[in-house]
Amino acid sequence: MEIKKIVVLGAGVMGNGIAQVCAQSGYQVNLRDIKDEFVQSGISKIRKFLSGSVERQRMTQAEAAAILGRIRSLTDLKEAVKDVDLVIEAIVEDINIKKEIYKELDQICRPDTVFASNTSAQSITEMAMATKRPDKFIGMHWFNPAQLMRGIEVIVHDKTSKDTMNTVVDLCKKLGKEPGVCKDSPGFIVNRLLQIWYNEGLNMYDEGIAEPQDIDTALKTAYNFRMGPFELRDLVGLDIGIASTTTHYRELMREQFRPPRCLIMKVKAGDLGRKTGKGFYEYKSGS
Amino acid sequence: MKIGTVVIIGEGELADKLKQLLGKANLKVLVADLKADYAKQVSEADLVMEVAPEDIAAKKKIFKSCDAKCRKEAILATATANPWVTQLARATKRPDKVIGLNFTENPLEEKYLVQVVKGLQTSDETVQAVMELLANVGITAVKLEETPGFILDRVIASVVNEAAVMYSSKLATKEDIDNMMKVCVNWPMGPFEFADSMGVDKIVEILDEMSQQLGSKYQPCFLLRRMVDAGWLGKKTGRGFHVYS
Repeated sequence: MEIKKIVVLGAGVMGNGIAQVCAQSGYQVNLRDIKDEFVQSGISKIRKFLSGSVERQRMTQAEAAAILGRIRSLTDLKEAVKDVDLVIEAIVEDINIKKEIYKELDQICRPDTVFASNTSAQSITEMAMATKRPDKFIGMHWFNPAQLMRGIEVIVHDKTSKDTMNTVVDLCKKLGKEPGVCKDSPGFIVNRLLQIWYNEGLNMYDEGIAEPQDIDTALKTAYNFRMGPFELRDLVGLDIGIASTTTHYRELMREQFRPPRCLIMKVKAGDLGRKTGKGFYEYKSGS
Repeated sequence: MKIGTVVIIGEGELADKLKQLLGKANLKVLVADLKADYAKQVSEADLVMEVAPEDIAAKKKIFKSCDAKCRKEAILATATANPWVTQLARATKRPDKVIGLNFTENPLEEKYLVQVVKGLQTSDETVQAVMELLANVGITAVKLEETPGFILDRVIASVVNEAAVMYSSKLATKEDIDNMMKVCVNWPMGPFEFADSMGVDKIVEILDEMSQQLGSKYQPCFLLRRMVDAGWLGKKTGRGFHVYS
């Protein structure tokens, strides 16, 4: 199936970037959120990114304008999904809210419209089974920022059709991205392996083997990791980290994913990383 | 204590590399052949750097020998990647002066990381002396308590093991597993590239040691053992997870 028209649901952190990338590759994109202020906030983020690109001479003013011209902002769901070939869902990470919207989409979208969820934590299978088109349900997991990160995890469940998979894999390539296909499973590829990488680092600290600084430095110096596990936990936020690793532990039920004690204690103490000025490291305000 | 004279005991690539690296600072660096009688050479040493093959009995012999022949203030260091520092220290009368200095060469650029491994008996003075030396030579060093896998191997082998589990269960292709880590979260290499670079046999060894000393969550995935059986060890055999022409 050929994709021509796309709707992105959710203009938040990921949604607006996704819409920009699609528009940048020539697609007509509807960007929809539940409130106009959310959509406008998303659009202004796109504008800001594009003007940065123009400033750095990565594109012309005319190109930026053309890209924006391909993005239509809406709050009306029915209007937003009218005649689209693909829905990219990037709304709040709440399985019940997602299921609700998919049930509605099932009614108001064309029967051949593909539903792709950007979820990082919910089950693609579970969401697919809430619709009457599980063969057209797939995961399309982008990474932040959508404009810059080249990889997209394409998540298939048991009933995803080959055609749906090929369509989305093809689209990724047309968007200038690199797809990696993974079966529906907690953490897919990337987040699952990251949990191991994080947890081994943090467990060593818990066990009194080494300090965060030594562990981070070792991995960066020896292998060129851009950041170490403690630095990255601090950057992403320990609250997000503990939710993620706890979900993996609960779903995969293996010791490797047990939340490290230091992570639990830091979150209890309110040290969530950069956003609170303190995590495993301390951050002066403004950093 | 200030380290001025370093004697490297051993031969081969690592000994040569160390001589080169340490020679950059204001140090007297000698390489003593294991097979020769290195008594005279080590008598001058402030630091002895043992880089012999990974055989604990042989290393104990070297340490006993150096203990007898070195000045009593001399530090005896081992380049071992195994958790043997405490045992080697016990073979001497200067356990506080025994320490691990494990060198890892960055596979992507000309850079080294030293894991300074403290045995149970290693004194803070000894740690400080070697940290100062490495700082003077311009090599990044980190400190840790002796444990299987130290820092690096523990993290990498654990990641490889999980990736092997995921690949075995047909979650994704090995190409996609490697590539996604690089293009989604900027990893320098994918887990299977790490495995092929270090050697799948090495990964299994590390996991077995950690499994024995730290717990069963480090048990190697069956696929890794079968790859060792098949001789698919990685770059060094032309085939590991990937094929190398």
